Order: sequence, then C-alpha cells, then structure tokens
Amino acid sequence: MARTHHSRRLAVLFCFFLVWVLPVMAQDALGLQVTDGNGDTITFGFDQLDALPQSEFTTSTIWTDGKVRFSGVPLKALLDSVEAQGNTVKMIALNDYAVTMPFDELEEDVPLVATRMNGEHMSVRDKGPFWLVYPYDRNWRYRTETKYALSIWQLNRLKVVD
Amino acid sequence: MTGLNRYRLVISAGFGLLLLLLAVMVANLAAQMRNLSLAAGDNTQWSIAQLDTEFANLNAILTRQLAEGGLTENEVQLRIDIVLSRLDIVNSGRAAAIFGDSAEATQLIAPINAFANATIALLDKPGPLVDADMRRIQQMLRDVRLEVRGIAVLGVRLGAEQSEARRAGFARQLLWTGGVAIMLLFLMGILLQLLVRLLDRAAQRDRELLTSSRKLASTVAASLDAIVTSDDEGRIIGFNAAAEDVFGWRRREIMGQRMEDTIIPHRMRKAHRDGMERYLATSEPHVVDSGRFEMSALRKSGEEFPVELNITTTDVAGQKSFIAYVRDISERKISEQILIDARDRAQSMDKAKTRFLTIMSHEIRTPLNGIIGVLDLLKTTALTPQQERYAKIATASSEILLEYVNEALDITRIEGGALQFSPQDFDLPQLMTSLIDVLDPLAREKNLSLSLDVAEAMRMRFHGDNNRIRQILTNLIGNAIKFTDTGEVKVSVTGIHGPEKTSVRFAVSDTGAGIAPDDQEHVFEDFVALAQGVGRQRRGDGLGLSIARRIAREMGGDIRLESEQGRGSVFTLVLPLDRCDRKSVTDREAQTTSATKAHTCSVLVAEDNDINRRVLRDMLERMGHRVTEAVNGEDCLRKAALDRFDLIIMDISMPVMDGIKATRALRKGDGPNADTQIVGLTAHGREEYRETAERAGMNRFHTKPIRLDALRTIFSDVEGDVQGAAQDDQCDDVLSELIDVLGFEKVRQTGHRFFDELHVFVEGADAVEDASDLRALRDAAHKLTGAAALLGLVQVEARLAAVEARAEVGDMTAHTACLAALRETAEAARRAFDRRVAQAETAADT
Repeated sequence: MARTHHSRRLAVLFCFFLVWVLPVMAQDALGLQVTDGNGDTITFGFDQLDALPQSEFTTSTIWTDGKVRFSGVPLKALLDSVEAQGNTVKMIALNDYAVTMPFDELEEDVPLVATRMNGEHMSVRDKGPFWLVYPYDRNWRYRTETKYALSIWQLNRLKVVD
Repeated sequence: MTGLNRYRLVISAGFGLLLLLLAVMVANLAAQMRNLSLAAGDNTQWSIAQLDTEFANLNAILTRQLAEGGLTENEVQLRIDIVLSRLDIVNSGRAAAIFGDSAEATQLIAPINAFANATIALLDKPGPLVDADMRRIQQMLRDVRLEVRGIAVLGVRLGAEQSEARRAGFARQLLWTGGVAIMLLFLMGILLQLLVRLLDRAAQRDRELLTSSRKLASTVAASLDAIVTSDDEGRIIGFNAAAEDVFGWRRREIMGQRMEDTIIPHRMRKAHRDGMERYLATSEPHVVDSGRFEMSALRKSGEEFPVELNITTTDVAGQKSFIAYVRDISERKISEQILIDARDRAQSMDKAKTRFLTIMSHEIRTPLNGIIGVLDLLKTTALTPQQERYAKIATASSEILLEYVNEALDITRIEGGALQFSPQDFDLPQLMTSLIDVLDPLAREKNLSLSLDVAEAMRMRFHGDNNRIRQILTNLIGNAIKFTDTGEVKVSVTGIHGPEKTSVRFAVSDTGAGIAPDDQEHVFEDFVALAQGVGRQRRGDGLGLSIARRIAREMGGDIRLESEQGRGSVFTLVLPLDRCDRKSVTDREAQTTSATKAHTCSVLVAEDNDINRRVLRDMLERMGHRVTEAVNGEDCLRKAALDRFDLIIMDISMPVMDGIKATRALRKGDGPNADTQIVGLTAHGREEYRETAERAGMNRFHTKPIRLDALRTIFSDVEGDVQGAAQDDQCDDVLSELIDVLGFEKVRQTGHRFFDELHVFVEGADAVEDASDLRALRDAAHKLTGAAALLGLVQVEARLAAVEARAEVGDMTAHTACLAALRETAEAARRAFDRRVAQAETAADT
C-alpha cells in the first residue's frame, strides 16, 4: 500500500525492462485475464464483462479529440466479481506496460474498464479492446499525472497482489 | 471615541485587504498546484517518445521473426497493431495540440501516416501475412525510422518548450505571490505596530482609569456625605461608608436592594416610584440635577430623619444611574429649631416687654392723673408754708414720675418704629422764648443765668414737629441746668439755609463739670446717669438723652457732644427743617387770649375711673363750672341726649363704649350736643390717638394727667371759640349804639378810662394779701362790672363777675386765678375795643 506511488520515470524504466528482459508471452488479445490473490486466473470475454454491472460516462481525454462516451465495467465491480483478496492490483497492457494501483483508490464506478467507446468495441489499433479510463472532466483530481499513468489502454491482464 | 473608531476602521480595512490578498494568493497557488499536478504535457511527451520505442521493438520482432520464426501470424499482427495504435497518438488529442501547426511536425508526420496506411493495407489484404509482407513492412519501417525519431525528438523539444513557458509562468506567479507575501508581512507589521500602540494606549488608559477610579473610590469612601448610587430600577449599586453611618445599613446588606424598600420613608415611596418612572419615561428632571433640596429619609432602625439631598445622573453606554449625595441634617434642623425658638422667644419677650411698658405707662398714668390732680387741687386750698412745701415736693416727684412714664413709652415707640411726627408750621423764636421761659425758673433756683441767642437769620417760621423739638431741647437745657452748679447755660440758635431746607443748629453750652472723653458716647445710652452729685436727688439723664438722640436721628438730624472736663459741655442739636413763607407772626400772639371764664359753663365729664372723675369734677367746680358725670360712652350719650352742654370732656378708653365711638355717635346724631366742643383725654401716648380722635370729631386732645392750668387754657380757648362771635356781635351792637349816641371820640375816651381803671383795679387786686382785703375789692369789681356791661365788653364783664364772686366768698386761690384770667381778657378786650372804634371811625369817614 505504501509503495503505490510510481513516478513517471520509474514507470518508463519498468516498461523497458519488461520489453527487453521478459519473453513476450502468448496472449489472448480479446480476453481480459484476471488473476486473483490465490493465483487463479479467469479470462473475461466481452460476454462475461457485459454480464457484470455496467457504468458509463462521457468525457474528453488528452489522447482523443472531443468528448467521448465510455461504457464498461467499473474496476471495483470487476474485482468484486472475482472476490479478489489483497490490497493492490497490477494492471498490464498488451505491450507489457504495467502499473499498480492500491484498492483504496477504487471508487464505486471509477475507474472504468471501458469495453466500448461511443457504444462500439475498440480494436487494438484503436487502444482496445479494454481501456481503463477516468471521468477526467468530472474533477481535476482525475487529471493528475498519476491518473493519466493509470489510464492504461490495450489492457490485457489484471493481477491482484497484496 | 472617534479616534478609537478610526483605528478600528483602519484595522478592519487592513485585515480586509489582507484577507483579499490571502484569498488571491491561495487561489493562485491552488491553480498553480493543480496545473503542476495535471500532467497532461508530460504524459503526452512520453506517449510521443514511446512511439520510437514501439517502432524499434517492432523492427526487432520482425527481424527475429524473419530469421527464426516462432511467432504466430496473429501475434505478429498484434505487434503491428500496437505500433499502429501509437501512431494515432500524434494525430489526435494533446499530442496534436503540442505539435500544433508546426510545419516541421507536418513534414515528419506525413511519411509516418503514409507508412501506417501502407502497413494497414498490407495487413488488411486477404490472405495470410507472408514473410514478403513482413519484409516489406520492415523495409517501410526502416524507411520511416528517421521521421519517427524526428517526431519523438520534436515532441520532446516542443513539450519542453511548453513546459518551459509553463514554468516561467509559474515562476512569475511565485514571484508575484512572494511579493504579495512580503506586502502582507509588511502590512501585518504595520498592523502589529498599530495594535501595539493601541494596546499601549489602552494599557495607559487602563492605568489612568484605575488610578482615577481608585481616587474616586477613596473619595467616595472618605466622603462625609452619604453617597448612594442606584441603577435605573432604583436598585442600590453603591453605598459608601458615610452612608452606612447615616442609614445604619451595612453595605453588603443593602447592595442590590431597592431604595424604596430600604431608605425611603413609607409615605414617600409611591411618590418616589412615580417620580422615577416619570423621569425614565420623559427624562424631565424634577428633583434630579436640581441642586440641593431637603427631604426625609429612613434609617434602618425605622427612624425618619431630615436630609439635604443632591441627585445627579450618569449615563454610561445607555445605562442610567442615579447618584444621591445625602447629608444628615437632623442636628442642623435641631439647631435651627433652637435658634428659631430662641428668636421667637426673644421676639415674644420683646413684644411682651413693649406691651408691658405700654400697659405700665398707661396703668401708671391713670393713678398719676389722680395724684397730680389732687395735688393741684390741694395747692388751691389754704395750706401752711410747710404743707405747701410738701405739696410742691409731691408735685415735683409726680412730675418726674410722669416724665419717666412718658420716656419709657417713647423708647418702646421708637424701638417699635412707631414714632410719629406731627409736623406743623411754627415760629422758631417764639418756640425758643417759651422754652426759656419755662426753664428759667429752674435756672434761677440754682442761681444760674440762662440766656438765649437766636441768630437773625433764624428768626422765622419753620415747618416741623415743634413738640418734638421742644422735647429734645427741654431735655438738653434741663440737663445743662441740672449738671451745672455755678456759671451759666447758654442756648444759641444758628443755622445754614440750604436750597430747600435749613440746617438749624441748637447749641446748649454749660459751665458744668464736663464729661470725660471716654464717657461722651455713653451719655447717649439708655439709663446712664453721670456725675452724680452727693446728696442730690437722683434724677439723672435716664432715658432722656438717648431718646433725644433717637428722635433727632429719626428727624434726620443728630445730637453731638463736645466737652472738656472741668470746663463744661456743649450739646448741639442739628436738624434739617423746612422753611415756611417768611411771614410775620408777631401780631398773632394777641389771638390767644387765655381768659378764664368767670361765667359758669355746663360740662359733661365722661370718665370710667372714679378717682379721676371726681378729681376732674372738683377741678371744674373749683373753676366755677357745673359738672355732669358719665361713667362710659353709652352713659355719656344718654346724658348728652337730655341736656345741652358747653363742653364735654371724654376719656378715650372706657369700657362698654369708648370715647371715639361716643364722639362719632354724638357728631352723627342730631341731639342737642351734636356740635358741642369735645375734649378727648387719654392715658396713652401723646400722639397715638390724636388723629383718630380728630377724625372722630373731637375738637381737642389731651394726655392725662390733665392739670388745672391746662383746663384753664382749654376753657379760655373753648369760650373764645364758642362765644367769640357772640361777644363780637354784642360788642358791636352795644358799641355801635354807644358810638351813635356819644360819637366815637367820646366812646374811645370812656373806654380808655374804663380800661385804665380796670388796670388799676387789677394791680390793686394783685397786691391783696389776705382774705379780708378781698371784700374791699368786691365793690370795686362790682362797679367795674357795670361799666364793662355798659361798654358791651361781655368777656370782661364775665371775668369781673367771677372776681366779684370769689372776693365775696374770700377764696384767695380762686381769686388769683380769676384775676390772671381777667388780666389777659382785659388786654385782649382793650385791643379789640380800639380796633372796633377805629373801624367805626373809618366807616364814618368813608
């Protein structure tokens, strides 16, 4: 819990390390692998995710032009569904970009594991298929460096750690 | 107050400004902090830089795949897709904003986009992705590596520039904020300074206030007056030590209690409540701030006592309080009462004294009247020389006593302010002469010469109270004679004529023992007698000089004394007198003829005192009159209704009806005595009743005791008045007849012969020594009576008849009196006769 803050530089170094040192593992591009505290991994497809509680909001982002409507499963709801036990969740993108986030920062419907942008699934080329987003326009607290770093796209794996 | 308000305003304004600055600062800093934490720029730069990495990765993956294989087609495609997804970054969002419309960026982005389009075309073409495709993609990738690198570097550079600008802005902001902070500090410093000064001043004022309140407290505590403070509801909030003593309450007992329940007497409580309510409602002071006033207050013991009170109000911040300064004046009241009582007692004693003296003088005068009257009568009887001497001494003593009584009365009258003056015209030389005539016998008795010198300028008539002047001069001359054993007493009258008044100076100088300088002022005090000769009758000055001086001063003048011991004294009376018109008065003396009426009058005597009535009756009968007695006014009226009287002598104070009332009734009525002459008699003071008596209709007024001489004067005057006209008529009738018959020359000769004979008779009669010779006179008198009748000289005839009558009975005393009256009448008659004859002659001539 104390080690939750990551500076940008650290994050970059970490990413390089991942790219060069770790072998690129076979990944299911269209599934979201969630590993709970016990080491069990569940892969969520669109169908499974759609079955979970849904939420949506419209906001602008620094990566897109204009306002965008995101819809999907709140991260909290997703973690609750696997009855995750732990304090921190490690999130990893397709290109092995990884960030960790303490559970404390989870709100009821923020951040959102977006499955759709403007009502449509997102392709890998279009930062899909899953994108962790905050309602940036709602509050300046969502427009901080940390939150932008946490806004991980091409989300591929979630790992609950202590 | 206003100073304090100004400070308050300045401080408020300062704090307002501070708050505003603080708010601006906080807002600025907050905005800056937010800007710093919003990492849009950095994250975007990182995303752009990441593009180069992704390209390098893909290049590596493609190289390994072409050399060794191992990856599935999907995995390769995913890698390519990930790279392609990065390309989107530079075309949209914040990254696009960083590049803006930079021409360099556009130049770099165009080949990259071309690579993307070409790659997407290869990937999306039907069929599997073959090595040729991958080599083609790798080739394009290598071709575009420089541009990708360029765009990453450009992104970093532009981002850095923008960050630079943002940091510069932030630095400015910080600078400004710092400025504000310094200003704030400065302002705070000033405010602090101000506050310190204010605090200092407040402390100073506090100290002063403390000092003055301590002073006040000790003043209040040490005050001799009770000081009671109350709030506007009448609750006691202050009670000093003196108040404890005065009211008997202890401070701690009474504090907080209402005044109307404690120190205000029950009977005043309602009034107090009402007054207080009215004052609070209207603020109109009634007792408040109205200076000292007296009231009653209540002690704790329930005793009510008088206080002197002064109430003030203070109004501190709208809270009214009353401060009462209370002084217990019981002692003073008692002293005042004692003084008032003493004064009243003294006044009443003084009144009693005056009353006593008045009554005494009256009461003494009445029996004196009897004594002197009887003595007068006694002297008319035949007495041995020794008896005569005794009678003389008794008379002299009575006279002295009478004088004392008069003087005592004068004193009371002067002190009572009741001294009255009866100014009238009088002839000064005449007054002086008669005065000297009266006193000369006294001087002669002591072988002193008494001389009078009236300055030529003063020989005239003046207007003033001649009786008072006579009184004063009698006293002065009498004293001079009394205290001079050898030598002379000189009286001189000089004066200075002022424009309106004349200052007349009467100097009485003697050659007596003189008065020592120390005693000179004492002689004017009451009851002082100096230089008492041994064995001499102690008469002293008594009240004489003091009265004389008081009278003189009342008249606007004064009496002065110059004296040298062993050489004599000079008493000087100076009086301002009004002058009368310069008229000769020398002829007038003839008018007053004091002829004793030989012819009998009927007299009504109204007098309640038996002795006095009898004395008066005897005197009148001795004078040959008929007397009817009345015991009071009513009796007098009854008797007057029956007969006509020639004269009524009426006592003024009588029981049942007094003389004034009786006189008034007589004059008002139409009885036989409506116009009879009335003489009033009083034992009271000399002047009190004169006016009343005259108003009532009395013709004359006389104080008791009435003397024989006085009676004679009265009668001669009354007869003169009453019968003068008749005599004249008769005289005229008889004389004119005679003149007609004989001619005026013959009548004049006859008359003169008669008057000469009468003169001889009178001289002869005067020389008669004893009763036996009187009989010889009878015939002569009888003869002359007939002649008088012939000439129509009625009065002379009457007087002669009286002499004849007395001579017949051999009454020596009566004879002398009758003879004196005859002498006077004769002289007057002679002058009247001459006048008539002259008139007749003139009438005949014309």
